[in-house]
Parts: sequence; structure tokens; C-alpha cells
Amino acid sequence: MALALSAFLLPAHPLAAASLAAGQILSALNFFFLEKLVKLFTQAAISESPAEASLLRLRLLLVAGAKVAVVYGGAFALTRWQSLELWPLIGGLTLPLAALFLKAIMLAVSSGPENLLRRAPSTAGSSRNLAKPAAFFLLAGALLFAAAPARAQEPQAAPAHAADSATAGAVQAAEGGEAHAGAGEAHTEGEAHGGGGGVEHLPNWLTILNDFFPKNSVIHWMHENEYLVFAWLAGVVFLGITWFGMRKPTMVPGQIQNAIEWMVESMEDVCGGMLGKHLPKYFPYIIAVFFYVLTMNLIGIIPGFKSSTSTLDVTLALALITFLYVQFTGLRNLGLLGYIDHLAGSPRDVVGFIMLPVMIPVHILGELAKPVSLSCRLFGNIFGEDTLIVVFVGATALCLKAGLIMLAVPPMLGISALFMLLQALTSIVQALIFALLATVYLYMMLPHEEHAHGNEEHAQGSSH
Amino acid sequence: MNFAATLGLGLPIGIGLAAIGSGIGIGFLGQGAMGAMGRQPDVLPKLQVAMIIGFGFAEALTIYAFVTMFFLQGKIQ
Repeated sequence: MALALSAFLLPAHPLAAASLAAGQILSALNFFFLEKLVKLFTQAAISESPAEASLLRLRLLLVAGAKVAVVYGGAFALTRWQSLELWPLIGGLTLPLAALFLKAIMLAVSSGPENLLRRAPSTAGSSRNLAKPAAFFLLAGALLFAAAPARAQEPQAAPAHAADSATAGAVQAAEGGEAHAGAGEAHTEGEAHGGGGGVEHLPNWLTILNDFFPKNSVIHWMHENEYLVFAWLAGVVFLGITWFGMRKPTMVPGQIQNAIEWMVESMEDVCGGMLGKHLPKYFPYIIAVFFYVLTMNLIGIIPGFKSSTSTLDVTLALALITFLYVQFTGLRNLGLLGYIDHLAGSPRDVVGFIMLPVMIPVHILGELAKPVSLSCRLFGNIFGEDTLIVVFVGATALCLKAGLIMLAVPPMLGISALFMLLQALTSIVQALIFALLATVYLYMMLPHEEHAHGNEEHAQGSSH
Repeated sequence: MNFAATLGLGLPIGIGLAAIGSGIGIGFLGQGAMGAMGRQPDVLPKLQVAMIIGFGFAEALTIYAFVTMFFLQGKIQ
């Protein structure tokens, strides 16, 4: 993930990317040494023979000395390096911390419910339940937050992607339209006017706050990055509901616990059919992604809130995290040689080896198409649903403004309500599809049967 | 034939063509699902879930065209 962030920042700020990487390395080294220290300390404390204990204590001192030298020396050297930037350094320092949190929460996301059913309820730690979604959206928020300044720089610097700068331009045009709208109830008409240059957005609480307190810098920042605020809000909501529901788990579940267990176990059935025995390793991530995307999508239906997934940044961040996780899983399970073999389509005979220069670019392109398709599918569906609602609610506002109340209220409101139902269905289905595709990609990366390998990979690659 | 006119003509036609392909795909999916549901009604829930998921995939291709339209429609000025 640090690599993804560095890749975001590298075109615009190479120094920021370097400081991010330096901070990440420093923090990772810190944790590495800490882990070694703790292990040695506990081993020394519980070891039986005094000779072994003293040997372990000697190693403890050596490792502590090495840690002080490397980590603090590295920190000192970093502070001496004048051209470092502060914020990416802090971001890099916190990223392994967040990764550790994610590891801690991976125990909880789904092994929470069924372990609660099978073991004594008192062994379930509520703090672990709290930490797991926190780390997930902390990671996503860190990724988005680091990506946002890079994205805002792009209209000034040379745009790396036409898509990103067009999105930034569209969002800014819409927000400019909203800023012209004035305060109070003129919002929907204002955005119907201001939607000429860009794409229209419905106002949410942040827009209203922004109009009431226009000079407040905090509210202005929240309004500028409203997708980030709603992403955090979705994380807090999902975290709060699962924590509250799984606080005191009982054998006969209450309502919230029942709902959460039903969702988790249904996902377990579907993903377990694919992954089989690898399920406990990967299911935490899959269910975390499912719940987070589901919450983010569903929040947009409530009037006054906006789904963060209706911006390409959020979906691209999620798709990139998934993509990196899948590649990392492939590398770890298959080894480097097995990974390249997997990319080459597993050549087993002469024909396979002859096709090698063709198959490797095809498979690499297929792998690269996966995050693009994941992000665009989720973004397009949720954004399209939002725009549909905007169109119909705008039509309702126009009818009300023109005084055609009889025309506005029954048909337009009815159609808006109907499309909101469709929005709810699409949100749930798209969250499910995102999680299922993550499962399928993970499944394809794991070692599975070889004889149909080339065909099914080719089919998967060509279906994009 | 300037750029804006070409975009204004081409983008909706693009979405329409993409929708044709998606419609045919969803139709095939639905046909297979309905047939299977008719032959074996006891696996109906599983087939329904799989059908909805298949709809999501087939829909995604039209969504790509939709997204392209949104990225380019700012240039029609």
C-alpha cells in the first residue's frame, strides 16, 4: 500500500514519495525489532535453565542495541535530511501501525461470530471487535487522504490521467454550482442550474453546513473532501453497529447479532464453496470489504448523506487494496517462480512454452484489468443510481417551483421512491459482487487444478 | 465536423450499443436460470443468487460505457 501511495505521489512530488517510503521503512524496522525484543524477553523470563536464560538475556541486549542504533539512528538521519516533507513521513510512519491493526482485526471480522457460537462467550474480546473495522477504514482513509492532495494538484500540474482530472473538474464544477445556490431551500434548483458544466450532486449535510458557516475552515475542508468524511462516517457506522451487536454474544442471539451472523454465514457459504479450506485465511478481508462497501453504498440512500463509492477515488482505492492483496497472496502462496509460472499460463508442454511470449503480456494485462474493472463497476453503478435520483428529484423540484404541484407530487415523487428502491437493490448487489470478485481473484491465485488452467484463465481474461 | 458535435453524437450511441450487448447477455443468463429453476425448483434460492450476481457482471460492461460518457461529457462545450 505504501507503494500504491508512492505511485500516486511520485509524478507530482518525488520527495513526498521518498519520505513516505522512508517513514514506512523506519516504522517497519521499529516493529520488527520490537517483536524480536518481546519474544526474547518472554523466552528469557520463562526459560528453565539459568544458562539458557543468561544466553537469551545477552541476545536481548544485543538486539536492543541494534534496535536503538538502527531505528533511532535512522530517525536522527531522517531529521537531518532537510528536504523531507512532514506529512508523508508521518503517513509512512503510521502505515505499518495500521497494518498491525489490520492484522489484529483480521482475527475478528468473521472469526468473531462463529467462534462466539462455538466457544464460551466470555472469550470473545470486544476490543478486538472494535479494532478490526477501525483499522480497515483507517487504512482506506489513509489511502484516500494521501491520494486527495495528489489529486488536487493535478489540475495545476500535468494531469496523469484524463479520467482523474475530468473527475476533479466535474466535482469542482458541481461544487461551484452548489456554492452559487445560496442558503436554505434553494439547493435543488441551484444544483439544477449549476449542473451545466459538470455532473450534478444532491446536497448533503456538509453542503448545508457549508452554507451556514461559510468562513469556517474545518467545515470548508469537510465540504471539499466530503467523500472522505462520508467514508469515515460509513466506517464508524459499520463499526458501531457490529460492536454494539456483538458486545455480549449469547447462544440464542438477539436481533442485531442475528442479522450480522446471518450475513456473515451466508457469505461464508458462498465463499467457502469457492475457497474451501483456505477460507479462514482470506475470509476476514472479504467480509470486511463486503460490509464496508455495503455500508458506504447504503448510506447514500438516506437523504442528506452521500455514498462515498459514488466517486472513483474511493472505489479505486478499494480496488487497488484488493488487487495488491491478491497479488501478495499469489506471491506468498506460489512463491516467486510459481507466480511467474502462473502468469505464463502454466506451460507444461512444448506448445505452452512456445506460447510464452504471448501469454505473459496477456495475463499481465488481465491482472491489470481487474482493479480497473472492479473500481469502474462499483463506481458506475452507484454513481449512476445517484444521478438517476438527482434527475428525478430535480424534476420534482422544478415542478414544485413552477407550481405544478399535482404534476410533481404523485408521479415524480413516486418515481423517485421507486428508483430509491432500485438504488437499495443495486447497492446490496454491487457490494456482494465486489466481495465475490475479490473471492474469485483470490481463488484463482491459489494453487488449484491445472488441466483446465489455461482455458479458464483465458476465458476470464477475455471476459473483461 | 467538430469535436463537440462528434462527441455529442457518438457518446449516446456508444452507450446504446453497449446496452444492446448487455441486454443480450442478461437475456441469456435469465433464460438459463429460468430453465434450471423450472427443472429443479428445490435449488431455486441458489440459482436466484447466482442469477443476480450474473446480472451484476453483465451490467458492468454497460457501466463502463456509462463511465466513459461521464468522463467525456464535460468536453461537449
